Amino acid sequence: MTARLRRYVPFATSGLQSLLQYRSMFAMTAMTAAAGAAVTVFLWRAVYEGTPGRGPGGFTVAEITTYLLVAQILQVLHSNRVDDEVAAEVYRGDVAVMLVRPVSYPVMRFFACLPVVGANAVLVGLPVLGLFALIVPLSAPRPADLLLFALSTALSVLLAFCVNLLTGMTGFLTTNTWGVRMVKQSVVAFFAGQLVPIALMPGPLAALATALPFRGMVDGPLTLLLGRYDGWAGAAGLLAQQLAWVAGLSLLCAALWRAALGRLEVLGG
Amino acid sequence: MTRTMTRYLRLAWFLGGVGLHRLAAYRTDFVLGAGAFLVRVGIQTAVVGLVFRQVPAVGGWSYHEVLFLLGFSLLPRGLDHLFTDQLWELGRKLVQRGEFYRYLVRPVDPLFSLLSERFFHPDGLGELLVGAVLVAYAGSELGLSLTAVQWALAPALVLCGALLHTSVKLFFASLSFWTVTSMPAMYAASQVSEFSSYPLDIYHPTLRTLLTWILPFAFTAYVPSVYLLTGVTGLLGWLPLMTAGALALALTVWRRGVDRYEMTGS
Repeated sequence: MTARLRRYVPFATSGLQSLLQYRSMFAMTAMTAAAGAAVTVFLWRAVYEGTPGRGPGGFTVAEITTYLLVAQILQVLHSNRVDDEVAAEVYRGDVAVMLVRPVSYPVMRFFACLPVVGANAVLVGLPVLGLFALIVPLSAPRPADLLLFALSTALSVLLAFCVNLLTGMTGFLTTNTWGVRMVKQSVVAFFAGQLVPIALMPGPLAALATALPFRGMVDGPLTLLLGRYDGWAGAAGLLAQQLAWVAGLSLLCAALWRAALGRLEVLGG
Repeated sequence: MTRTMTRYLRLAWFLGGVGLHRLAAYRTDFVLGAGAFLVRVGIQTAVVGLVFRQVPAVGGWSYHEVLFLLGFSLLPRGLDHLFTDQLWELGRKLVQRGEFYRYLVRPVDPLFSLLSERFFHPDGLGELLVGAVLVAYAGSELGLSLTAVQWALAPALVLCGALLHTSVKLFFASLSFWTVTSMPAMYAASQVSEFSSYPLDIYHPTLRTLLTWILPFAFTAYVPSVYLLTGVTGLLGWLPLMTAGALALALTVWRRGVDRYEMTGS
């Protein structure tokens, strides 16, 4: 097992090397993340303005600010470029080269995206968090909640990988993956609770959002971070739901990938 | 002078028609692109709806006023999107892959030549349409009745807003002549333009200054909407000046970039 996994390590290190050549990219990602965070943070802070104590959804001003800011940072961790690269390689036919290698393409993609996630966390997530901490008051989490959040964030990264892989695989069907990616981005951001916490959605919409896998990407980790869960059983339930979706989506990815390869035609020799 | 003008107009008309033919050829792509756009605006509107479920006013703006602002912000954006999105290609890869020379060898202005490669991006039509519907709906809910002067100025406000969007895009795309690819910078600027869909009053003062005087997106939607909704002119007088200034700056950077490219070309 370890020998088989060791095969994928070079993909992770080469991914890191190519990333570090475009260091200015991180500054830009940080700027866009900060801009995105600012829009939602200021919009909702205007709503909570003048409500002392707990406002809508039982959030205090500091809590809603923390929620929206960390949500934006999680989104940066989730943008692993897998959708983009898989789609491009599929419709250009480059994926054929990968098929002759003794590795699994989806697993290879997973290892290649790990350094992207790590670098984004350190070079984008932390600076943006620091910047906002200077401007707006944030709420400090309890240490136990921080631990649960870390665990949940790891699962959310896996979820994001699966969602992005599935999006990239639409390259088998259409060349306009730009359109598909844009739809995915908007829909996932909304139902993950990145723009509007699920606690603030009306009943039926909240029920739908809770049932979808995207909840585990943003709202799940943040519920744990802010301690908005119901005892240990509640926290375990949230993590279990995430885990179940990770398992389900991984199986779906594997099955669809196999089916798609069966139909793949690549021109040229 | 007039002969060059008519020549350019006829070319633009013809090439726009060629662009329309793509709609038929790549029908699914078009439907996907337009659909993607509708989903995006739909979600933006839903967020505004959910915000106003909690409170009657945000930053002194009512629900329908914010909808009006959101809709209005789409009009200049759509107009700009319709004609100048080829600039993304410049920022993304034309310099990087050394393909830019082909715009220099044609017997028309290089900027026209670049834009004419794809003169008509139909996704922008969706933005214009949704924007108009939102503005009309919010306007009628607010019982808005514009004065004759406001009616006369409205198209000019949209046009100036579109030119501001184009200027910012041209400026950042032209940076690629120095930095090889400026796609991330362009993306960052377009992300910042999202601020213009919400009332400026809710933002931190630093951010307000930035959006008014440095990346002047406030003039694309906020300033015109305040004028149309309340009749207060406020910063309106600055609008033509800012538009002219931004356009002049962007064109200067573009020209310098083109000159530089010629020097290093192969």
